[in-house]
Amino acid sequence: MILPILLIGVSLIVFTLSRVGGSPIGIYLSHEMTPDEVAEIEERFGLDEPLPVQYLAWAGGVLRGDLGWSGVSVAPVTQVFPDKLAATMELSVAAAIVAVTLGIGLGTFAGSRRDRLPDHLTRVFSVSGASMPVFWFAIILLIVFWVYLGWFPIGRSDANTFASIAHPTGLYTVDSVLAGNPAAFWDAIWHLVLPAITLGFGTTAIITRMMRSSLVEELGEDYVEAARAKGLPERLVMKRHARRNALIPTITVIGLSFGFLLQGTVVVEIIYQWPGLGRWLADAVLRGDQATIMAYVLFTSVLFLTVNLVVDIVYAYLDRRVVLGA
Amino acid sequence: MTDVVGTPLSAAPVEGPLAVRLRRFTDLARQVLRNKTTLAGLIVIVGMVLVAFLAPVLTTPNVPDPYQMPRDWGALNEPPGTPGHILGTTSDGGDVLYGIIWGSRVSLRLSVIVVSVTVTIGVIVGSLAGFLGGKIDEILMRIVDVFLSIPELIFALAIAAVLGPSFGNIILALSMVFWVKYARIIRGQIIHVKQNEYVDAARITGDSRFNIFLKDVLPNSVTPVMVQATLDMGSIVLVGATLSFIGLAEAGLAEWGVLVSKGQVGISTGRWWASTFPGLMIFLWALAFNLVGDGLRDVLDPKTESR
Amino acid sequence: MTSPVDGLPPASRPLVAEVKDLRVHFQAKAGLVHAVDGVSFEIRDGETLGLVGETGCGKSVTARSFIRLIPSPPGVYAGGEIDFWSSAARRKGEGPIDLLQIPQKEMLEIRGDRIAMIFQDPGKALNPALTIGSQMSEVLFQHRSQELMEAALEEDPPAILRRAARQQSSALERLLLKLPPWRGRMRRLSRRVDELVARALTETQISNPRKIMDSYPHELSGGMKQRVLIAQALACNPDLLIADEPTTALDVTIQARILELIAELQQRLETSVLYISHDLSLVREICDRVAVMYAGRIVETGTTKEIFSNPLHPYTRGLMAAVPSAAHKRGELAAIEGNVPELVDPPPACRFNSRCPFAVEICRTTDPRAIPIGDEHSVACFAYESGDRTELPTLEQWV
Repeated sequence: MILPILLIGVSLIVFTLSRVGGSPIGIYLSHEMTPDEVAEIEERFGLDEPLPVQYLAWAGGVLRGDLGWSGVSVAPVTQVFPDKLAATMELSVAAAIVAVTLGIGLGTFAGSRRDRLPDHLTRVFSVSGASMPVFWFAIILLIVFWVYLGWFPIGRSDANTFASIAHPTGLYTVDSVLAGNPAAFWDAIWHLVLPAITLGFGTTAIITRMMRSSLVEELGEDYVEAARAKGLPERLVMKRHARRNALIPTITVIGLSFGFLLQGTVVVEIIYQWPGLGRWLADAVLRGDQATIMAYVLFTSVLFLTVNLVVDIVYAYLDRRVVLGA
Repeated sequence: MTDVVGTPLSAAPVEGPLAVRLRRFTDLARQVLRNKTTLAGLIVIVGMVLVAFLAPVLTTPNVPDPYQMPRDWGALNEPPGTPGHILGTTSDGGDVLYGIIWGSRVSLRLSVIVVSVTVTIGVIVGSLAGFLGGKIDEILMRIVDVFLSIPELIFALAIAAVLGPSFGNIILALSMVFWVKYARIIRGQIIHVKQNEYVDAARITGDSRFNIFLKDVLPNSVTPVMVQATLDMGSIVLVGATLSFIGLAEAGLAEWGVLVSKGQVGISTGRWWASTFPGLMIFLWALAFNLVGDGLRDVLDPKTESR
Repeated sequence: MTSPVDGLPPASRPLVAEVKDLRVHFQAKAGLVHAVDGVSFEIRDGETLGLVGETGCGKSVTARSFIRLIPSPPGVYAGGEIDFWSSAARRKGEGPIDLLQIPQKEMLEIRGDRIAMIFQDPGKALNPALTIGSQMSEVLFQHRSQELMEAALEEDPPAILRRAARQQSSALERLLLKLPPWRGRMRRLSRRVDELVARALTETQISNPRKIMDSYPHELSGGMKQRVLIAQALACNPDLLIADEPTTALDVTIQARILELIAELQQRLETSVLYISHDLSLVREICDRVAVMYAGRIVETGTTKEIFSNPLHPYTRGLMAAVPSAAHKRGELAAIEGNVPELVDPPPACRFNSRCPFAVEICRTTDPRAIPIGDEHSVACFAYESGDRTELPTLEQWV
């Protein structure tokens, strides 16, 4: 497993970036300080040590849970992180559910009607999805559904409703179910709709495309013809034989498109004013909050690597039979 | 059908190698253009490139810096259709159409520079890894893997944030992130060629490694690199616009992402045009390059069904 | 090989299938490809008919047309009929059904049940992701669900179980069926199906059926896979088995055993077989009668003995020239000069005329028709119009 090497590599990059952007303790300094005072602070934070030592100190701190001080939130990064993470996870999972169910459904629909109208329309959809600037799509949806139609709200919740329940998990949907509060649940869902669709759109397109081409490939295989020759109705041939096997390569794309999803959260959270990691990052970028930015990069990379690793394992398990049987 | 048995060898004239290459090229070009969607994409690209080049002619360039949006305090937030401002104006009175036209110039610059730089870096790194092999190959490929572990947008964002908000830094950041795939392609090609028997034959006849590189590796790599570069032309503008949108470019720049960002403030009061039109351009740009890239891939590498 | 219908001479055995002027065309960019263009032959009860020809002559398309497996764009059933008499119909003295015309629902009932097909590459004909047992049980659930329910369940089972037996359960129902009230009964159903599957496998001389049923296709050898497919095809005791080059993808040593198996099963189960091949030596071994196909048309039909001892059509003679010679690889046709003609919008003519040493003017302008010559032997060649056979040179002069 080269995972540890990759993690170390990523941490090195993050460390380098943080040092490149000027002194990481810039927030502790001010113009009135004398050079001696500056030197004293530098020494306290270990900045007079050689770089490799600094790296180890920093890495050690990370592993112990010290990710620095967030200038934006005026608190340690690790303290603010969990709440933001919960909000982003809720949004990402919702978007992923949308993307996977819609993607597989559309891909199957298009693949089974190859070269006919549904297939062509789906292809247009796929390519647009991959080319769509997420932030623009978000704004368009907002203009139509929030400004003009007024169907959906902005933000994560209505302040009063949100405050009316306890938040053990930090996931609004789950917490409202646990609290047995349907009003809160609907509030949560209603606020999720637009952002989840926006975020999931691009990923849906990727999954659709892969599912479609997988399915077309499977439909051309001999065993599908043999299944028909047995007298199985087309619906059974499609579901039990073609689609099941087409799902296997699609799973790899689902893993990769997760990266796509992660990147989308940044702008989606900005535009929908969703209080998650992405918006936190955006603020950090605008205000030069190094610690937050680096923590974010570290987190997303670790997450991305983990998801891909899981996908690889799942695929290897499923594919063991397929590959050997070919 | 002619008889198979006893057919004499064709007496057709033999083409020179250059003529063969040229004919193959025109054949491929024709095949690519046969696909209607690819053709549409190509037309859009040509249109946008033309607009980019003709920007100083199509509009009155802003002084002192045409890349800064002009400000007209007398024409704030005008809706589309206002005389003199077909697509409306921004909250600073900047003409949206101006922003779109000069934005295409900015995008063209961005994508061409970044693609050129990244292809070069990628080719160099990939060649070093492929030819030198061994430890160097391992180290370089580990670096590639590490770079691929960080999602592109986030990586570029971190770099640009650290360097400071400016469009130049965005160009720099993107160049540092997008070279990776090319390195892999080139290295893959070299390894493939290395494993091919005819290279050994060439070595026997005394061809130097560099010659092999020129004659075998490069020509075979052209197609996947071309496909990737075309797709990247679209992605780079997308990511670049996103970075500008988040705020990593200079405010007031005549760039599509910046314009969308500026315009979003007004949408709650129904001023949709300042964000919608520039965003549409980003979409069309990416769409066109994706269509052409897909079309190229379908023709040049039919194994990978991209449809 | 002698046929199982004891005593009756070949010509008077009842018909199982009759192909009448079958035409199957394919829409291609270049035009309409006449893959099968006026094919007619009969299959009698209990016999094995060989359909021979080189690659691309349309024999596979003909075979697949029996159960309408040709994908509809680009394929089109452009004419003719395939009449079929099931054993039940023959018993009741009913007339045939036209396989090309019956509604899809009826066709699904026939596929796998009355007419079964085995394919060339056993490795590819099995779904790699399902166990052998689960794939084979599909056929039984599809066609024998009534029988299964009667044997394994109580009288008048509830709808959910009935749907399960017919493989019509929705996703929700499949989940419910895993729960206690239904689980036991589903298990009884599965056990019953497994018994039938094991029985079918034993018929093909597989000694450890249970183990095979739990295996995945990639765990089995080529020969074993083909046995499984044969077992699956014969599970519902079909009236007609269509075998499309079943041994081509197998080792020579395994081939013989599979052929033996098919012949033995055919005798025992009294199934008729349509055996497609490009390999004359194999056809000679197990077929009672042979139909020779070239470029979408039948050029000659007759008993195996007749065709091999007295080939009439110039093409058949060319094929025979290859058979005994050790210089040619088994199955490879001797170098008949020329190539198969383009089948795109062909003009009326004998398709073989460009390669035929005996071709005359009429061969280039008119479609030949089948001419009966003696008992059970017919040939589509203008040379036999006048019934004078001695005009064609002998076999020796061909080699």
